[in-house]
Amino acid sequence: MTEIYEEAVKFENVRFSYEGKGDGVSATEETESDGFFDGEGFALRGVSLSVKKGEFVALLGHNGSGKSTLARLINGLLFPTSGKITVLGREVTDDKNIFEIRRRVGLVFQNPDNQTVASIVEDDIAFGPENVGVPRKEIGERIEFALNAVGMSKFRYATPARLSGGQKQRIAIAGVLALKPEIMILDESTAMLDPRGRREVVEVVKRLNEEEGITVLLITHFPEEALLADRAIVMNKGEVVMEGRPEEILGRSEDLRSFRLLPPRPLRICEQLRAGGLEIADCFGAETLATEIASALSHAAEKPQEVGAGVRLSENETEQNDTVTGDLGEILCENLSYVYNPNSPFSTHALSGVDLNVGAGEFFGIIGHTGSGKSTFVQHLNALIKLPTAQKKYKAKKPKKGEAPLPATRLTVGGFDLTDKTTDFKALRSKVGMVFQYPEYQLFAETVFDDVAFGLKNFAKEPLTDEQTAEAVKEALSTVGLDYAEVKNRSPFELSGGQRRRVAIAGVIVTKPEILVLDEPAAGLDPLGKEEIMKLLHKIHKDWCKTVIIVSHDMDEIAENCTRAAVFSAGKVVRACSPKALFSAPEQLISLGLDIPFTAKVTEELEKRGVKAQSDFTSGDFVRSVLALFGELPAGGEASHA
Amino acid sequence: MRDVTFGQYYPVDSPVHKCDPRTKILFLILYIVAVFSAKNFFGLGACAFAFLIITLCSSVPIGSIFRSVRGVVFLLLFTAILNLFFYSGGEPLVKWGIIEISKEGIYYTVFLAARLILLVMGSSLLTLTTTPVSLTDGIESLLYPLKLVRFPVHELALIMSIALRFIPILSDETARIMNAQRARGADFETGGIIKRVKAVVPVLIPLLISAFRRADELGDAMDARCYSGSKVRTKYKKLRFGWRDAFACLFGVALLTAVLLFRAYFAHVV
Repeated sequence: MTEIYEEAVKFENVRFSYEGKGDGVSATEETESDGFFDGEGFALRGVSLSVKKGEFVALLGHNGSGKSTLARLINGLLFPTSGKITVLGREVTDDKNIFEIRRRVGLVFQNPDNQTVASIVEDDIAFGPENVGVPRKEIGERIEFALNAVGMSKFRYATPARLSGGQKQRIAIAGVLALKPEIMILDESTAMLDPRGRREVVEVVKRLNEEEGITVLLITHFPEEALLADRAIVMNKGEVVMEGRPEEILGRSEDLRSFRLLPPRPLRICEQLRAGGLEIADCFGAETLATEIASALSHAAEKPQEVGAGVRLSENETEQNDTVTGDLGEILCENLSYVYNPNSPFSTHALSGVDLNVGAGEFFGIIGHTGSGKSTFVQHLNALIKLPTAQKKYKAKKPKKGEAPLPATRLTVGGFDLTDKTTDFKALRSKVGMVFQYPEYQLFAETVFDDVAFGLKNFAKEPLTDEQTAEAVKEALSTVGLDYAEVKNRSPFELSGGQRRRVAIAGVIVTKPEILVLDEPAAGLDPLGKEEIMKLLHKIHKDWCKTVIIVSHDMDEIAENCTRAAVFSAGKVVRACSPKALFSAPEQLISLGLDIPFTAKVTEELEKRGVKAQSDFTSGDFVRSVLALFGELPAGGEASHA
Repeated sequence: MRDVTFGQYYPVDSPVHKCDPRTKILFLILYIVAVFSAKNFFGLGACAFAFLIITLCSSVPIGSIFRSVRGVVFLLLFTAILNLFFYSGGEPLVKWGIIEISKEGIYYTVFLAARLILLVMGSSLLTLTTTPVSLTDGIESLLYPLKLVRFPVHELALIMSIALRFIPILSDETARIMNAQRARGADFETGGIIKRVKAVVPVLIPLLISAFRRADELGDAMDARCYSGSKVRTKYKKLRFGWRDAFACLFGVALLTAVLLFRAYFAHVV
């Protein structure tokens, strides 16, 4: 069959409404629930677009913009209400074509856990080819090809459950690839991954596009991912609102913000520099930005200009010391070890001698790879994992003769001794609040009010009056930015994902804990949502909880927000210091395979170019210190720097 | 549960582990028939002997196997006591009301207990040496003939395989939800049965909702990968029947023959 079509995908004035289509609503609930449906309830309102064969298109849009609906329309998981969709020259609305279209259009979803059918990688990848009746021998070859293409050959016989998010998502891509598709759609496939996983996935997709000639439609809410694409399309409220070269689209930051998209961090820094008077072009990478700054500096040295006038670093700003001020003993941990499944072939040392101090009033960060022990450590903090000595049946063993006694473990949190079984653990838990990953999935009550009040009632020493409960719930809900009167009687499941997360946080802070621990509080949110959550945490830190501890994979987040951070590796704390100290000597992090924040990358690049910009690596301070460089230039153009 | 392929699989490399799962299932069936056919200690002895040889080949520590007996210890004691006290016939050694203990009674009780222990240990040896995944493959393959009577063998196998895939995910999720609620003062450990059941409800709701959500997404993902359950479907994984398996089957048949011979030529237990 000769195929004469240039467009891989073509939408002609497509409208789509979930109304009257019970089927499918729940499937997209996750992505669309942030919820826009206008009066007519159309998720797509007359979309026309086309993707050429071999093209790499990035589709950007805030939650509820209709971008996921679009993906499902392309391979016939949903049918348009009106309009025409042509995929590889075939009309999607024709039932006869569906199977053929699905074979040629691979769709990778958001949640890496929910798209694998088998417990062994190779079996899962075989699933697609088996479905279309590929002969056995060829399936073997396709598995090999697919795993190679995503760089996962080593994991052919592995169990998906043990892989990292990025690896799982690459397996999901391989599973689609084994069908030899011509088009690949990634429906927010990076949303639930950490920055490293995101990079892995996007790089694989880019390679597939270049080397295998696969047409790619990358749907994402991270604008920076669009940079690898040939073309970017922005959707808002069911309509295509912007289209063009990615650099050009991302440069229009005002417009992006109006569609609830946050421009990439490098661009935001460029903007701030421009606001400080520095003429600088938009840059997307650390290297280009460093080059720009360095060349601007040498120009300025020759021809002084009004840049950064009056910007000077005050002494105490540059001198940020590494030790904690205030009470160091809010959390005091010495020699903490923990083994999962002891005395079995599966036993794993999750913690092997953790030493860590956190001071009262800190905004503390915990970083490390999956499996480095950080989650296990955090669960010790409010005795979700109890130390052996704190367990009811514990009896002190007499040390055997000739055996050196093990070094004692110490763990006190907020004044409670966690090694002692007589400690009041309930009181401890009311003082140490804990917010787990994706807390919105842990809501259960009929109304928002009941859910938030759950902890309050559990911890109350004497039953609270209705007024007291209502007062506390109201305060907690308004702190997280929700309108008490509006949401209190609604079911938590009616709310949008972002609102649900806020309800979950309210349910923890309602008891006014002194220490609040959050495991990846910003995971899965779009950049704007991440920013809002971090703002919320600062507010909570200021008004409610003395000490806040976050576990995070995002180094920019750590650099921007934390007073100090601890690096976990192989069950130990290998470093605990201020972000400034941590990122100004980044070799250790890099050798552990961890990231460094963008500002640290630029600082490093600047140093290579002979420019020293000292900052604490928050973007605000970084911009200040760069501007200060200009202010320090001796007047009259006697350039002294290299 | 964390990070464990659930079940009791004991990960070592041994000839028993390498056997085709179908062989192991078939052997277990032969073994069970043999244990039930044994009417005297010679027969049971033969079964125990076979069991010991396989255990030695499997490199599974005997302790792990005994652990499986722990689970049925109550059942074991219960039947043993009933048998001991209420076995009628034989000369009573002790008589106390309607309860009488005879020599034959003791003999019979020991025999039944030994039979039960052998059964339990034999089955647990299968799960100790076979991953749930290959067990599923084995069952699917053995059930294949049922396709002729339109039994949905493939669908059943797929359901089992998906269930296996999601058990660790859902168990992690359960742990996380419970932890989140314990952190908010929920108490799952103390209190009467009603209080404990009540405490579980807030765990079940988010768990169920999440399971449905996952099922929905998985359904879409399967659709997108062309799943239709149709006849064109091929199967990548092929189980191989090797010399090891032939040998194991012969061994199983030999065991059963021996037990039947003992049954015919030696006296019954009582």
